[in-house]
Amino acid sequence: MGINPIEYHAWKGERTAQNLRLYVIARSVFRHKIRSLGVIILLVIGFLLVHAFSLITIVLLSHEELKASDMNSYLGGGLFVIFSMLLAAVVTSDLISEDLASNSFVLYFSRALKVRDYLAGKAAGALLVMSLFCALPPIIVALVSIATQTGGNYWDGFGVLGKTALVGALVTLFFVPFGMMISCFTRRKSYAAVGTFMSFFVLVVVAELFSQFSRGWRVISPIDALTYLFSWFFGEPVPGYVDKGALGLIVVSLIIVPAVVVYYRLTRQVVGK
Amino acid sequence: MVGEIAAVQETAPSVRPIHVSARDVTVSFGPVMALDGFTAHIPRGIVGLLGPNGAGKSTFIKASLGLISLNKGTISVAGLDSQTQSLQIRDSIGYMPEHDCLIPSVNAVELVSYLGMISGMTSLDAMQRSHEMLDFVGIGEERYRPIKSYSTGMKQKVKLAQAIVHDPKLMFLDEPTSGMDPQGREELLGLVTKMASSEKTIIVSSHILQDVERICDYAIIIDSGKLVRSGEMKTLLAGEQGVRSLTIRGSAEALSRYAQALERACRIVERKDEAGNQITFLVRGCDDGKKVFQLAAENGVQVRSYHPEMLDLEEVFLRAFRGGERDGH
Repeated sequence: MGINPIEYHAWKGERTAQNLRLYVIARSVFRHKIRSLGVIILLVIGFLLVHAFSLITIVLLSHEELKASDMNSYLGGGLFVIFSMLLAAVVTSDLISEDLASNSFVLYFSRALKVRDYLAGKAAGALLVMSLFCALPPIIVALVSIATQTGGNYWDGFGVLGKTALVGALVTLFFVPFGMMISCFTRRKSYAAVGTFMSFFVLVVVAELFSQFSRGWRVISPIDALTYLFSWFFGEPVPGYVDKGALGLIVVSLIIVPAVVVYYRLTRQVVGK
Repeated sequence: MVGEIAAVQETAPSVRPIHVSARDVTVSFGPVMALDGFTAHIPRGIVGLLGPNGAGKSTFIKASLGLISLNKGTISVAGLDSQTQSLQIRDSIGYMPEHDCLIPSVNAVELVSYLGMISGMTSLDAMQRSHEMLDFVGIGEERYRPIKSYSTGMKQKVKLAQAIVHDPKLMFLDEPTSGMDPQGREELLGLVTKMASSEKTIIVSSHILQDVERICDYAIIIDSGKLVRSGEMKTLLAGEQGVRSLTIRGSAEALSRYAQALERACRIVERKDEAGNQITFLVRGCDDGKKVFQLAAENGVQVRSYHPEMLDLEEVFLRAFRGGERDGH
């Protein structure tokens, strides 16, 4: 301990940031992710392939106003959803699996932290990263389009901007709970990443197979489901074979059910065990 | 066998203020009974929670933090109920887990300050305090290296630092010296003693009896989820009242004569022959010692020591498991 050992000193301060625990976890996830090479590469490639082209087209081509159909074709082409899916798989891969592998749950839950707050913090961090690709660029594209339009009708443009923000928020949210669910079942982030992407891919394949019998089955494909949903939001025609109730149910199920599974998995099988 | 032993609380709970109190606590994991009607009152100070592996020590700690539901009974920590007020309890305690639980990819400063912030400290306070605590536990410049590169001893120290970063009044240290070399153990026990001097209650769960004997002033012995024995350390180590330890040395013949004479003068509770020329007796009924020395002079043996019986914790532990009986040698 050296010739002048350091004594224990009681802390004289006051703990005043108890309500910021969720924010602390979210910030930690966000910082960790934006320093991750995999996430940076995906964000850059995704931005170049999905958003940059639309942005350049809008700036270069003269347009009278921002139209919903333009945003629908920009976001509903499939590439945006596929990149979102890839990014979600990478972002959510170690959210829970790393804590499972290192048994660090005990460090969180030996403090005044509820499972709900832990999950909300982790999810919020992941959602922030997802929004860098799914929400922010489409909003920027829409804003640039409004700023460079030649016509004087801005109100319709702002309406489309609102719908774009809604679509961005939905895609940001759509994949994260599922990714967290897969992440809570494995201790390896590589398994979680591959598992998340493959689960969605399997749904796409199953939808493709069953659509041979009825095209309505396409709604179980996350790519198709989101594409139909975008068309619906932007007021574009949705194919007649799409059951809107089934579409809504699929989308809500893919968000709610995984979130519930993660919560119960942590509550019943992880905390205190 | 142990299950039949009546648990003994040596010190009345009212002697020292009680910090943690368990009443008839039962916890089971499927068919396995981890705690079986466990009752104990833990006073302030450094308290040792002793027991073999699987005795229920860690389960008791987790149950005290409200991380495990109780099948029966209640645990009160600083007056708070572990089941209904677990968040308030966890907000005021520090917990050093037994197993490896540190996030390997981050460094010690990041981890300790992060956990300080989760404990409710502001970012600035947490960073400042984490450096202080890492200094205190003896983690130097290594604090900026990822934890995955640390030795077991360093990891134990980081685990301790994260448990004390928010300066809790009550600490649960689960096997704090597990896997450490003798020097590391010595250092860690020194840290625990230093912390206790600032009015803290530290509950040390361990199966290393020497560690507990060295630093604790109260001990609780637990086995198969039941309290076997508890009390002030000095009371536990004091041995049986009226029993004195006598060591004599001499020739085999003289020793034999002395033993026969001693048997007539006092009651021999236990006899241990050592290396042929020395015997240690535990005797009762020769309190003043005059007879003992007189017989020694008459029989030509040398009295090497004569004092009230003193136990070590290992003996206390073993006797507790034998239901208070001596070894029977």
